[in-house]
Amino acid sequence: MKILVINAGSSSIKYQLINMEDRTALAKGNVARIGMSGAVLTHKPYDRPEVKVSGEILDHIMAIEYVIAILLSENHGVIKDKTEIGAVGHRFVHGGEYFENSILIDEEKMVQLRKCIDLAPLHNPHNLRGINACQKILEGVPQVAVFDTAMHLKMPPKAYMYGLPYKLYKRYSIRRYGFHGTSHYYVSLRAADMLGKPREELKIITAHLGNGASIAAIDKGVSVDTSMGFTPLEGLLMGTRCGDVDPAIILHVMAREELSLHEANTLLNKHSGLLGISGLSSDMKDLMEDADSGGKKAALAIEVYCYRLMKYIAGYTGVMSGCDALVFTGGIGENAPLIRKKSTENLEFMGLKIDDNKNNASIRVEADISAGDATIKSMVIPTNEELVIATDTYELINSGAKQA
Amino acid sequence: MAFQRIVVIGGGVMGQGISRVVAATGTEVTLVEQNEELAKRAMEGIGEHMDREIEKWGLTSSEKKAILSRITPKWDVKEAAKVRMVIESIQEDIEAKKALFRRLDEICKPNTVLVTNTSTLSITEIAAASNRPDKVIGMHFLNPVEKIPLAEVVRGLKTSDETFTTIKQFASELGKTVISVSEYPGYVTTRIIVPMLNEAMHVLMEGIAEAEDIDTAIKLGFGLNIGPLSLADRMGLDEVMSWMENLLKELSEHKYNPCPLLRKMVRAGHLGVKTGRGFFKYDEEGNRIREERIDELKTL
Repeated sequence: MKILVINAGSSSIKYQLINMEDRTALAKGNVARIGMSGAVLTHKPYDRPEVKVSGEILDHIMAIEYVIAILLSENHGVIKDKTEIGAVGHRFVHGGEYFENSILIDEEKMVQLRKCIDLAPLHNPHNLRGINACQKILEGVPQVAVFDTAMHLKMPPKAYMYGLPYKLYKRYSIRRYGFHGTSHYYVSLRAADMLGKPREELKIITAHLGNGASIAAIDKGVSVDTSMGFTPLEGLLMGTRCGDVDPAIILHVMAREELSLHEANTLLNKHSGLLGISGLSSDMKDLMEDADSGGKKAALAIEVYCYRLMKYIAGYTGVMSGCDALVFTGGIGENAPLIRKKSTENLEFMGLKIDDNKNNASIRVEADISAGDATIKSMVIPTNEELVIATDTYELINSGAKQA
Repeated sequence: MAFQRIVVIGGGVMGQGISRVVAATGTEVTLVEQNEELAKRAMEGIGEHMDREIEKWGLTSSEKKAILSRITPKWDVKEAAKVRMVIESIQEDIEAKKALFRRLDEICKPNTVLVTNTSTLSITEIAAASNRPDKVIGMHFLNPVEKIPLAEVVRGLKTSDETFTTIKQFASELGKTVISVSEYPGYVTTRIIVPMLNEAMHVLMEGIAEAEDIDTAIKLGFGLNIGPLSLADRMGLDEVMSWMENLLKELSEHKYNPCPLLRKMVRAGHLGVKTGRGFFKYDEEGNRIREERIDELKTL
């Protein structure tokens, strides 16, 4: 069976067509600038060069039409008929407390999905648009929603409650949800495979370090704590997001600078993090280059980044009363040996020790980078969220949709 | 309903703000001014305004670049022939607006919607200058357009339901909360705020309190985020006066008679933030200079 994986944003849609027989992508690509002039579809079949198609793509429905058309096209296509698409798997950012598992979408589930809009107004409406578009164009094809939050929903109340009035939890469902669930799930599964043990016997810490970054403590296969909270702003330092801050700072700065809600929001989400401290770039690669040539603020941003990561690694080891493996994934996790080294260098006392040669040699590949005498394994595992979505979709429609 | 491109006519403060907000949603904007120099100045104004927003963390440099790339400055009103929506934001003068709408009616395709950003003038009267009164409507934004999340959508007597729905949808896609208003001078916002500004000026003129204290009293007393005199400075005192005169003319009510102090300041060219001086003083970036009070105000 072939499964179309869709990740719909406000003005973009990313897609992959995955062949479940060998779990590889037949084609991947994205539609950018939906509803704007200069909309463009970038498409890469697995065996031919990338192509770009521009056109008037006014909404998500037209975007999906373009995607289907190119998947079918004679020169760039990978399938002969629309019916070869057995199902569609959608990334859905915030499932709130409703969804512990991926779901097969029907009328009733759509109502519940709409109820989640308020929780992630920046993401969920666009995810819904993607679902609506596929329902229209691929009528009758099963649609599945896979949630970024689902992996973390089994976390205990002591980990998800904030020190705020309980009323706020009851009234607005304010609690920790966590994100990047499909990524944490995938790499923890791969780590267990590589260690040759079932996940149910392992304590794993997974660090997803991309543009956004989060870390999770996965005890016997259950995410028992994670650094992102009610929104993806909490926790680790990120490219342009601040992560953990004293909340009173926001009130103080808003008053001092007479900031509106919108300004405060963009301050924390777009002007902070690595970019905010360095004043230079949100890209770790740029900062490492600048720090190498003596850039002090870039070096400071890297220090803050690694220091905070280290606190979480040590903290989560404590939370699980031990740890078998630490996994690095995401753009920075997969590509930056320096960050892996710096964020673990004080933790040798608890058995976390990286082999420099293995670390430096492991870029974007699955690898065990721990030193011989380490009792906590350090690993690099490239993430594959699309495959998780495709696999969940496949299993759900084959099991007759009893879950959720 | 997405518009690929719209035309904005008039590159003053409101025209700049509207262009920028529309471009931010991904729609291309042609900003039409009377000549090349004014068009260029309008573009600079938009850029400078966004620089101040970046300093206040409301925007990022890449967002600014993307927005500017979608605004094309032009100096020929015939550009309006190419689009399905034209937004007018020239000076608040009924004759000028009527002349423009007459011209637009000749230039534009028959189904093009003509929108005016007037805050006090009659939509019905402006619409009557064209042969398509069903496709003429008011969409009133407040300054600064990107910050104030409100649009008053105003129907003239002959505005069609279709035009109304289109514009209501357009305004909400700009992120504005829409209130619908039947045509009546001043609508809701201008009608209610203008007498308050005027009264604050009377209080100042009569020597009851200093400008700073008047603003403080109203701000703190009623939980507003700006005082009436600062607000008038920001709106432009000439603008405030022209709204009052329009309201006075339309409604013949004494309460819309501009305060003598307002008239004097406008005559003296102290128009508020844009000239660096109104009830308070401002630097080139429009920030209040707080140290000194303007005692000369009393001697005006």
